[in-house]
Amino acid sequence: MSQLVEPFLDNEFMQRALLAGILVSFSCAIVGTYVVLRGLAFVGDALAHGVLPGVAGAVIVGAPVMLGAAAGAVAMIVGVGFITAKSRLSNDSAIGLLFIGLLALGVVLVSSSDELTGDLDAILFGEFLGVSWSDLAVQGIGLVLVAAVCVYAARPFLLLCFDPDLADAMGFGARRHHRLMLALVAGTVVVSFQAVGSLLVFGMLLAPAGTAALVTRRIGSMMMVAMLVGVLSTYIGLSCSYHFDLAAGASVVLSSVIIFFVVLISRSLRRPTVAGAEHE
Amino acid sequence: MRLRLSRSVVVVSLLALSACGSDTESEGTQRPSVVVSTPILGSLVTEIVGDSADVTVLMPNGVDPHGWEASPKEIEALSSADVVVINGLHLEESLEEAIDAARGDGVRVFEAADHVDVIVGVDEDEHSEDESGDVHSEDESDHGHADGDPHIWTDAAAMADVALALGDEFAEAGIDVGDRASVVYERLLTLDNDLRKLVDEVDASERKLVTGHESLAYLAARYEFELVGAVIPGLSSESEVSAGELAELKDLIEAESVGVIFSEAGTPDQVVEAIADETGVDVVELDTHLLPEDGTYDTFMTELVSAIVSALSS
Repeated sequence: MSQLVEPFLDNEFMQRALLAGILVSFSCAIVGTYVVLRGLAFVGDALAHGVLPGVAGAVIVGAPVMLGAAAGAVAMIVGVGFITAKSRLSNDSAIGLLFIGLLALGVVLVSSSDELTGDLDAILFGEFLGVSWSDLAVQGIGLVLVAAVCVYAARPFLLLCFDPDLADAMGFGARRHHRLMLALVAGTVVVSFQAVGSLLVFGMLLAPAGTAALVTRRIGSMMMVAMLVGVLSTYIGLSCSYHFDLAAGASVVLSSVIIFFVVLISRSLRRPTVAGAEHE
Repeated sequence: MRLRLSRSVVVVSLLALSACGSDTESEGTQRPSVVVSTPILGSLVTEIVGDSADVTVLMPNGVDPHGWEASPKEIEALSSADVVVINGLHLEESLEEAIDAARGDGVRVFEAADHVDVIVGVDEDEHSEDESGDVHSEDESDHGHADGDPHIWTDAAAMADVALALGDEFAEAGIDVGDRASVVYERLLTLDNDLRKLVDEVDASERKLVTGHESLAYLAARYEFELVGAVIPGLSSESEVSAGELAELKDLIEAESVGVIFSEAGTPDQVVEAIADETGVDVVELDTHLLPEDGTYDTFMTELVSAIVSALSS
């Protein structure tokens, strides 16, 4: 039994990692639920990668990393809006184009600067075990902001998920709130990527919320279940990293994806057809 | 996963590059070309070769070899060289195919690791208990052993042997280097002696090293340090940190009352800070891959060992 808690009791870095995982899980659960319901997965992924050149640029000019990450995310959102407004390209083509462009820019920046040697790993995979108290503070503030926006815009976000036209008709402004939602996704990525890395943060956004979508249909309970799955995967992932010497960030994200499949398979065993689930 | 695009070549003479190397010997006016992978080997080779050949060093100074990739131009220089000098033991992982191809085309390839006693990396699970790994001399069947530790340049005596072997290699390749190889050999042995004296300033009980990755095994074996552990146990800076290994390292630092963690290029800074905070030890950054301003191996080793000595004795 003691093996389950001892790693966390004995090591401060494990406590901080667990706390970071919980904070990231909470933000990601709230925002991830909207991402899953609105089908924003691709843009979310793109935002997570758009962070890379921003961070690299920030390191080169000596600016705060988070500012750079935010700039990358903003460039992504503005760029998608610009392309879809000025051309007949579909939304996902625009996203794909920018996503690859920003990723390539990030790699070019990282590889052309000697200062960044070795830092690409840290940006892509994070430093879960190196989370500092100030990182935790930022993640805590991020969580409060994300939660506040979601409470404030709960109704328009709900309408946006199920009937965007109705949101417009009720005077909520579907486009405006869509942008707000994207900004939330971007914000979550920006405060979370330092722990799990820009490549894996998206897993925290998608897998717990996706799992929740399998078992419940109400937004509120989806967020709750997603938080639970996120925290559980953080705990399982960190414990596995401790006992089996595995990479920390990847173990956490892998745990959340495995939980998704376990839930999916056990559900389909109970109810053989997807149609059956519809009658819930 | 680490990506790195091509870097500019350090070209001693562009002429040597523009001409195709295979013709160089026949053209009397053209000097032979020697291509070296790392800056540290490059500094020794440049000194030994003198004016007898053009030396091109591929990796930029200070780069983490695991993240570096050659440009097409550099591959071209390599495949048309008269002699290619590499470290070996998979340090030049991104060059291996090009080196094999060059070897197939008849280019002479000199592997420094062939001329030293290679330290074989200890088993990952036992790394912390084991002191410095078992030193055993390399036989042919062991050549290019996946676990051989490539960081041979942190032992000045081993590099003296390499210098001597380089002299023979160049002589066989028809590059006249005079007695410069044996001059370098003698000087490196003196350097080795000086380094030992430096290390003697540190109490034997305090000669404990905790490093970024396992990069100082040769230095530890030669100058009698105890390798306590590494933040990333493994020879490559490429692996990710695991919580288990980090906790183990933390316990070791406390049990062995280590005072300093030596970080280096490619070490995850935040993780090192976290461990240092928790154990109350200092972090000192070492340049294990970076030649100092004067570009000499001697200064490199003196500065490396002095940095370790002063950190351990403060």
